[in-house]
Amino acid sequence: MSETTIVWKKCKKCRKLQHPDHLRCIQCKNTTFDTVKSSGDCKLLTYTILNAPPSEYRDKKSYTIGVVEYSNGLKAIGQIISSENLKIGMKLTSKFQKLTENLDGKEIFGITFKPT
Amino acid sequence: MNKVAIIGVGHTKFGKLEDKNLLDLLCDASLQAIENSNTNDKDFDAVYVSCMLAETLNHMTAIASAVVDRIGLIPAAADHVKNGPASGGSAIKNAFYSITSGACDMVLVVGAEKMTHITTPGLITSAVATLTHHNAERVHGVSLPSLAGMLTRTYMEKYNVPKEWITSIAVKNHKNGMNNPYAHFQKEITLEKALASPIIADPLRLYDICPISDGGAAMVLCSAEIAKKFCDTPILITGVGQATDTHIVYEREDLTVLKALQICSKQAYSMAKKTPEDIDVCEAHDAFTILEAIQSEDLGFFKKGEGAKAAYEGLTEIGGVIPINPSGGLKARGHPLGATGVAQVVELVWQLRGEAGKRQIEGAETGITCNFGGFGNNILSILVERM
Ligand SMILES: [Zn+2]
Repeated sequence: MSETTIVWKKCKKCRKLQHPDHLRCIQCKNTTFDTVKSSGDCKLLTYTILNAPPSEYRDKKSYTIGVVEYSNGLKAIGQIISSENLKIGMKLTSKFQKLTENLDGKEIFGITFKPT
Repeated sequence: MNKVAIIGVGHTKFGKLEDKNLLDLLCDASLQAIENSNTNDKDFDAVYVSCMLAETLNHMTAIASAVVDRIGLIPAAADHVKNGPASGGSAIKNAFYSITSGACDMVLVVGAEKMTHITTPGLITSAVATLTHHNAERVHGVSLPSLAGMLTRTYMEKYNVPKEWITSIAVKNHKNGMNNPYAHFQKEITLEKALASPIIADPLRLYDICPISDGGAAMVLCSAEIAKKFCDTPILITGVGQATDTHIVYEREDLTVLKALQICSKQAYSMAKKTPEDIDVCEAHDAFTILEAIQSEDLGFFKKGEGAKAAYEGLTEIGGVIPINPSGGLKARGHPLGATGVAQVVELVWQLRGEAGKRQIEGAETGITCNFGGFGNNILSILVERM
């Protein structure tokens, strides 16, 4: 998987954008989708700085989680690589990368956001 | 459809109960409910046992089979019902339909969780976080408090709500918990202290979040036709609703709308032919203060964006227009996951029977619950009233 693009699904029938995990459209039950790649640029909808990490993230004292929206209307959740000067509506850029290792030592990948 | 009555309830102390294991809690609550319902010599048709993390935290499976054996209810049908922190609500729903359908006449529901023996940091947070969406949320380190933190920020921004309005819910629930002998915390807190407590998931602080608790709650249900044989004040379950919403929280159009609660409470109201104006008391799922604020809106008590303000102004206190969580709620009564949905209805039974002591709501005749089985993605609502 590429370092920067994140792949989503768009329903061929009702055009609803959604997470790739959905096997049938979350809105109309259709099973055929187009692939949509999100661009890196997005804006921050909401965030939190978490000071009580679950055990997969036991090596960190705290980290920031945010929900963003891309220009095509797609939303995503991920980790923000900063906890300072965050503001709802600010511009971020996103990336797909290794986040941590689970309790069995397996690498976990996910989305990160960085202020532009 | 046969009508369903609750004829007995049981409730262990909630809190850190060092000398009780999971099975003790389930059986203690069950025997209290059986005793309370005067059914000591009766056979039961079915037993529904609710517990969320028996395998993970207690290395136990088949707990329903264990319960019927230990409390002498063999050969009753026995099921373990699991629906996250709404396992209790789901167990009651199953019991309700087993009676309305005519399949069963006498049914026991019991829920419990044993949590406080776990000392590994982050392990309970992590075990509960397994209910979030794996690929979209969980891999990013999303936990329930982090979802609640983001929801709090969105709600404050969207409706221009100061944090103290939201946190006042914790102060109110601690005040109510003072008068609940079964509550985990029987201690008042001040708004100043709550607003200065450690930040867990900014802007959410420690005092906005329910504790980790041990505890059990139970009830005996039977068909309403025979209820008066056992009990002078049976309480009827007249409405039950359940609905789901997107597993990925951000896939909802508006984070601050609990669509599943709007749907399931409407189901409960319409089954019971009631409206929100008819409700005298509510037990909500305040795992986080923000949830009670939003639930009070989507249950139909307040307009969108006005739930936190209503709480701050005292409208949800005992004596207010719609008292919410007279028991102390999850915040003060505690939140043993599998027990919570059952304990909510047990509190309503006490309130409707007029047995709630110092936290009694005068003349309460109708009550409703909201029980969360995820982060707004699986919700039950149960409506009860005096017979
Ligand atoms: Zn579609």
